[in-house]
Amino acid sequence: MKKDTLILSFESSCDETSVAVIKNGKEILSNIIATQIKSHQRFGGVVPEVASRHHVEEVTHCIELALDEAKVGYDDLDAVAVTYGPGLVGSLLIGIMAAKTVAFAHDLPLIKANHLAGHIYSANLVADLQYPFMALLVSGGHTEIVLVRAPGEFETLGDTRDDAVGEAYDKIGRVLGINYPAGKKVDEMAARGNDIFDFPRAMVQEDNLDFSFSGLKSSFINRVHHADQIHEELNKDDLAASFQGAVLDILSNKIFRALKQHPVKQLVVAGGVAANQGLRQRLKKDIEERNLDMDLIFPPLRLCGDNAAMIGAIAQIQYDKKDFADLTINADPSLDF
Amino acid sequence: MKILAFDTSNKPLTVAVVCDGDVLASIESTEKKTHSVSLLPDIQQALKDSKLSMDEIDLIAVAQGPGSYTGVRIAVTVAKTLAFTLKKNLVGVSSLEVLAADGSEDKILVPLMDARNDNAFAGVYQYQDGELVNLIEDHHTSMEKLLDTLKQYESDKLEFINATEHLTDLIKDVYPEAMVMDTKDSLPEADKLAKLAENKPAVSDIDNFVPNYLRLTQAEHDWYQKGHKKDGNISYVEEV
Ligand SMILES: Nc1ncnc2c1ncn2[C@@H]1O[C@H](COP(=O)(O)OP(=O)(O)O)[C@@H](O)[C@H]1O
Ligand SMILES: [Mg+2]
Repeated sequence: MKKDTLILSFESSCDETSVAVIKNGKEILSNIIATQIKSHQRFGGVVPEVASRHHVEEVTHCIELALDEAKVGYDDLDAVAVTYGPGLVGSLLIGIMAAKTVAFAHDLPLIKANHLAGHIYSANLVADLQYPFMALLVSGGHTEIVLVRAPGEFETLGDTRDDAVGEAYDKIGRVLGINYPAGKKVDEMAARGNDIFDFPRAMVQEDNLDFSFSGLKSSFINRVHHADQIHEELNKDDLAASFQGAVLDILSNKIFRALKQHPVKQLVVAGGVAANQGLRQRLKKDIEERNLDMDLIFPPLRLCGDNAAMIGAIAQIQYDKKDFADLTINADPSLDF
Repeated sequence: MKILAFDTSNKPLTVAVVCDGDVLASIESTEKKTHSVSLLPDIQQALKDSKLSMDEIDLIAVAQGPGSYTGVRIAVTVAKTLAFTLKKNLVGVSSLEVLAADGSEDKILVPLMDARNDNAFAGVYQYQDGELVNLIEDHHTSMEKLLDTLKQYESDKLEFINATEHLTDLIKDVYPEAMVMDTKDSLPEADKLAKLAENKPAVSDIDNFVPNYLRLTQAEHDWYQKGHKKDGNISYVEEV
C-alpha cells in the first residue's frame, strides 16, 4: 500500500482566502473558505487593494481552522501548495508568502499551482478521472476549452477573445440592477423567463473553438437602454432567459465541436459558472440527445468557486512528479497553461 | 533574547538576527529587489550566517508600516505566519520609527515616506536618554500641514529622514537650514528594528495583526464620502 500524502494548500487569487488539507489529491479533510463578497459588494466589484488587505486579516486564522478541522499537525503534512497565478497580484502574494513561510518553518516541500488547473482538478475530488478528458472552464476571468491528455498535461483548444462568461453575467447583471456577483441571480431569473429577445450567438458558425461574449453583452445593454428611452417595460426574467439562452448555445456549440475532434470519455465543467443550473441541464440533455457514451462531471457547488481544495488536488499530481518549487517563487498574474 | 527582524516597507529590504544586543547577521539590499522573491531566502541566509535555526529564535520583529502597501503586507504576512505557525512572540514596529532610529541623537527626527501628490506618511521622534521617543504619532498628511506643525520646534534642530527629491524641495522652501537625509542615506536597518522591538509588548492576537496602512483604500474613502456607514454588526469577510 502506498503511503498517504497530505497536502496543505492555499488559494488567494481573488476575493476568497482559502486553506485546505487534502489527502492523496482526492479526499477533503478540510476546506476553509473566507469570502470577501460582502465587502466588495459595496463597490460593485472586486477592488484589488481591499482584497489584499482582507487576505492578510484572514490568512493565519484560515490555516488554524484548516488544520483543526482536518485534525492534523505539521508533522503529518507532506507538502505545502499554493496558487501562484493567474489572479490579482496583491491577492496572490498573500497566499504565496504564507505558504512559503509554512513550508520554510516546517521544512516541507513547496508546490506552486496554476489556479486554472486547480479549477479543472476540482473534478478529481468527486470522480476518478480517465485520460484524456475534456474540460470546459467557465469562471469570472476565464472561458476555455482544455484537453487534459495526461495527469497535469493541458492543451488549450479554445479561449475567449474578449469577455469571460462570468464577467458577462456580472456586467449584464449590473444593468438588471443585481448586486455583484450576478451569475447566480441571473441563472434563477432565467429559469423563470423565456428566450424571446433573440440575442446574437457570436462565432457559432465559425469552425474554431474560441468564444466571444462582448457582442452579446452589448446587444443586451443596448436593448435595455433602448427600452428605457422609449419607456418600454421589459420583463427582466425574459431578458435573463434570453441572455442565458445565447450563452448556453455558444458554450454548447463550441464544446461539442471540440468533443467531435477529440472524443473522450469524460467532460469536466469547472469554475464559478459551472454552478449554473441552466448549463448543467443543457449539457446533460445535449449528451443524451447525441447518445454519447461520456460522463459529465460537474463538481459540487462548493468546489465551483475559488477554493483551496482544488489546489490540493492539482498539487498532488505535481507532488507525484516531484515538481517542487523553491522559496523564490513569485506571483504570475497572467499565468496560463 | 534572539530576535529575527525584517523590514520590506519600502524599496530596501533588510533582515537581521540579533542576540542580546549583538548583531549576529545582517542583510541589507539597496538595489530594487523583488521583496516577495527575496524575503524568505534572505531570512534563511541570515539564520545561516548567525548559525541559528528558526527554533532558537525567541521573537519576530517586523516593520508594520506605513510604507508601500504591498511591501508592508509582504513582511507582515511572513511575520504573522511565522509567529503563528511556530508559536513565537511577535512585535510590530513602525516603519517610520525604524528610519528615525538612524537619526542624530540631538535632533528632532522627522522620518518620511513620500505618499505622492505633496503628501507623506510622517511621524516625529527624538532620542531622549538614548531611547527613541515618539513626539507626534505617525500619520498621513499633506506636506504643507506637516511643515506648519513642525514650526513648534527650532528649525535648525529638525532632521528630515528619507525625503525624496520632491519632498526635499518642499522642505527646503520652508526650512532652508534643516538637515535633510535623502532616500539613499536613509536605509532602514533590521538590527535597529530588532532593538526597538525589545522594549515593546508582544502582539496578543496574531490573527488580527495587520499592517498600519494609515490610510483607507481609495474605494473605501469614496464609499464613506458618499455618506455610507459601516453597519456595526456587519462582517465583510465571512466563512462559508
Ligand atoms: N449560477 C451561476 N450562473 C452563472 N454564473 C455564475 C453562477 N454562480 C457564479 N457565477 C459566476 O462565477 C464567477 C465567479 O467564479 P470564479 O471561479 O470565482 O471566478 P474567477 O476565479 O475567475 O474570478 C462570477 O462571475 C459569477 O457571476
Ligand atoms: Mg476562479
